[in-house]
Amino acid sequence: MQHLLSYLIFLPIIAGLLALLIPSAYQKTFRLLALSVSFVQLLLLLLIARSYSPISSSSQLIEKTSWITLELGSWGLFKAEYFVGLDGLSFIMVLLSVVILFIAVLSSWTTTKSAKGYFILLLILNGAVIGSFCAKDLLLFYLFFEFMLLPMYFLIGIWGGPRREYASIKFFLYTLLGSILILVVIIGLYSSVKEPGPSVQVVHTFNMEYMKDSGNYISGSVLNYSEPWIIGAWSARLWAFLFLFIGFAIKLPMVPLHTWLPDAHVEAPTAISVVLAALLLKIGGYGLARLAYPVFPDGAVYFSWFVGLMGLISIIYGALNALASKDLKRLIAYSSVSHMGFVLLGLASMTIEGISGAIYQMFSHGILSAMLFLLAGVIYDRTHDRLIENYSGLSSVMKSYTAFIIIAFFASMGLPGFSGFIAEVMIFFGAFKSHSVNALLPEWMAVTATLGLILGAAYYLWTIQRMFFGPLSVKVPGDLHDLDNREYAMLIPLAFVAVVFGIFPQPLLDIINPFANELAGIVSRFVNVH
Amino acid sequence: MNLQDQLQWISDSATFLSPELILLFGIIALLISGLILKKEGTIIFHLLAFLSIGASALVVVIDWPENPVRLFNGMIRFDDFSSYLKILIDLGGLLTIVLTRNRIQKKKAEYFLLLVTVILGAHWLVMSMNFVMVLLSLEMISLSSYVLAGFGFDKKGAEGSLKYFLFGSVATAVMIFGMSLLYGMSGTLDFSTNKFVSALLEQKSPLVLIGGLMTLSGFLFKIVAAPLHVWAADVYESAPTPVVAFLSVVPKLAGFGVLIKFTLAINLFGQSTYNWPTIIGTISMLSLTIGNFSALWQNNPKRMMAYSSIAQSGFLLIGLTSLSISGVHAMLFYMAIYLIMNFLTFLIIQQFELDHNTLSIPSLAGLGRKFPFQSTAMGVGLISLVGFPITAGFTAKFFLFSSLWEAFSQAGKPILIVLFVFGLVNMVVSLYYYLKMPYYLFLKEPPSEKTFLVNTPLWENLLSAFLVVLLLVLFFQPDLLMGWINRINFVL
Repeated sequence: MQHLLSYLIFLPIIAGLLALLIPSAYQKTFRLLALSVSFVQLLLLLLIARSYSPISSSSQLIEKTSWITLELGSWGLFKAEYFVGLDGLSFIMVLLSVVILFIAVLSSWTTTKSAKGYFILLLILNGAVIGSFCAKDLLLFYLFFEFMLLPMYFLIGIWGGPRREYASIKFFLYTLLGSILILVVIIGLYSSVKEPGPSVQVVHTFNMEYMKDSGNYISGSVLNYSEPWIIGAWSARLWAFLFLFIGFAIKLPMVPLHTWLPDAHVEAPTAISVVLAALLLKIGGYGLARLAYPVFPDGAVYFSWFVGLMGLISIIYGALNALASKDLKRLIAYSSVSHMGFVLLGLASMTIEGISGAIYQMFSHGILSAMLFLLAGVIYDRTHDRLIENYSGLSSVMKSYTAFIIIAFFASMGLPGFSGFIAEVMIFFGAFKSHSVNALLPEWMAVTATLGLILGAAYYLWTIQRMFFGPLSVKVPGDLHDLDNREYAMLIPLAFVAVVFGIFPQPLLDIINPFANELAGIVSRFVNVH
Repeated sequence: MNLQDQLQWISDSATFLSPELILLFGIIALLISGLILKKEGTIIFHLLAFLSIGASALVVVIDWPENPVRLFNGMIRFDDFSSYLKILIDLGGLLTIVLTRNRIQKKKAEYFLLLVTVILGAHWLVMSMNFVMVLLSLEMISLSSYVLAGFGFDKKGAEGSLKYFLFGSVATAVMIFGMSLLYGMSGTLDFSTNKFVSALLEQKSPLVLIGGLMTLSGFLFKIVAAPLHVWAADVYESAPTPVVAFLSVVPKLAGFGVLIKFTLAINLFGQSTYNWPTIIGTISMLSLTIGNFSALWQNNPKRMMAYSSIAQSGFLLIGLTSLSISGVHAMLFYMAIYLIMNFLTFLIIQQFELDHNTLSIPSLAGLGRKFPFQSTAMGVGLISLVGFPITAGFTAKFFLFSSLWEAFSQAGKPILIVLFVFGLVNMVVSLYYYLKMPYYLFLKEPPSEKTFLVNTPLWENLLSAFLVVLLLVLFFQPDLLMGWINRINFVL
């Protein structure tokens, strides 16, 4: 099995394109097609897991073929490759994506409004998400990264709630602004980095592995390590880090660049909320760990205090907003902002614990936010209303639903025994330790961040109390039946994963560790510079 | 040089000009057949125009120049740079004829005659190396375009045409004045000679700047760049759609052809005391801002495309700001992509306009579900105009911005990095209005159940499918075109 990753990426895209040929009258074939594609992807993932060895930090299952090679005269050669591979970070993210996308298809099972378009867009989104987690060539990464936006725009814009048009255009504009900032850095990197080798001609490469090595920078180029250009207050390399940071932070999202998220989440259909929260937000964190930190470790060190602070602000501000939210989905959306703040804090600490914790948090939040949005979707499905104040005493009519809500809420607030606890504890360790190891983050940041946990407990418990306990009263009409089989099929695996990786974190940590070690190593070389 | 030598020159030169001669014969044939054939609805004019432009394009490809040749005593130069642009111009002409369908009912022969005349003028313009030749060919384009702009034969069309004419004549007058200043100072009309450069280098007077700017204004008028853009919106709105598509591409490409040469000349090989890259960069930023921000408020598809055309000129000028060979190559690539995406968009705009009478963007509401194919094709065209992957519009912008970055890393001028960030941020602004049409097509519900009549010919759908595929293929394999462009050795 040579091209496992390519199969994984292109299977959904090709299936989506072929589905164009099926007449839209066969409504049910599309969901079956999407489900079978996701199922085959799960099988492929098993094959990948079998041949993946977690010990090494370098990429595995590499596929590399030339894609665009352009002779640019005296300036050299423009070289972009189709280069995909898996390392610890990618593997975790691909694992998460395949699982979540499978559940997303299940969750869209009842979609009837132009099912053809919906499932085709979902399949294309599927390929783009997995592709961006696997790409090791910067241009390829950017291609997948951007290509996620279009299907998402239409998925929110056509199948969303009442204010879907506003939400979808806002989502698109914000994320495009982010991608433009990233594009600036891509152009800078591509013209500053050359392929190592004996060749006389300068080969301008997009290979991300080469970009990590300071020896591959053309001397005198704008982004070179030894004498970077000074533009305004900072060197070009610091600007580049800042641009990447803002670009990915919009996606993450970080306060104050988060305002697109609550709108997009509230308006998106359930399955799309799930994909958005569980996968698209992760691309932000992934991009930071994949590109911004290893390629600009000097910038990462220089801005670590700022990054940590922004993470802290996101944690607290997101939690406070969640506390004030009247809409259940909005509450979960803000809790996402708060939880993704932990990712920033962990990365900013640049300790092995912090980085591992950040990646663990991305995985854990992927699973938990998917669960939370599915649960919010269940109640919306019953009554077409999500306002918390309209419900009370639901536990007496929807018993299993209440049970799953409690599991998801407790897991999400970081109770021991669930994956969220492991992630957040590691991030706190990393953030505390940072002061003594590399002196990047002051201790008060870690201390203050624990407030996020307390607030988290507050908004979750308060919601449980308001919606599920007390006398039964539902102010909106609707049939409040308990979970059906399809909903069980989506929720049980997620709850299972959240518990298993809360008790046995080791398998995941084994995969993450080589990557975290390497990243911490790269960054630590620059710690004493400043 | 005696008379015999001059005649020899002319007859030697004429052999290089078979594409232009073919166009000329086409014009004459159209003129005569227009006098003879009085029947309305005949297809013969379509054919004549199509064949002459097609044959001219074919001959350009066959007679691909290896080395630049000066013709007619240095008036024009026959080289690969101009041949490349000629092919694009001819393709623009061919696509316009396809777009014309049976839109034009009155005075068909004249319409096609004017169309071919503009093409001929554009051929001359991209080859000219002499102010007189520039002026003549520019006027050949302009005078024919003024008439074409009024081919709707209604009050609005006449108004647009008159506006176009008034602005055009003023721009030309200013340009002539600028040229005469430059001629007075340099003593030569040929702006590519050493004499022009060395004479202007000795001049310390600010008249060099004034003369240069005034000459530039004539070209800026042709490429629809700010601040000489004011005519665009009215003309685009009132002219027939095929004419708009034509005017937004062909005169613009020709204008850029001469603008590139002139800018390199007036920059005096980088020794000019005036900072021409900054001037061009400022014009670029101005065009981007005015074009993009005005487009945001438009509700008429063609008016929106007019402002889009201004903004796209701003993007193209980015390549010129870097004043490097890779900048010129990036521009040439961008021009080809611009041709494809603009015609694709106008093709669908016209289809909807003819079939569903969609004169405003909101009236497109809900058409996307009824006509997914056309709507998707339009979406691809517009997304490509934004510069979004996986369309060649992204690749084109990528090359442009790379050339700018390269120029920055060599010269380190702050204007370059300002323009770089400015241009990229403008991409986000442009997304908003380019997305407006897909937004109404796909996201909005139609106001009521109306019945749709469809009479789009199959070949038109095939054409739009072909253009879509071309945009995608050139994203994945830009070397197909860029490899060819890279061999174009541009020297002044």
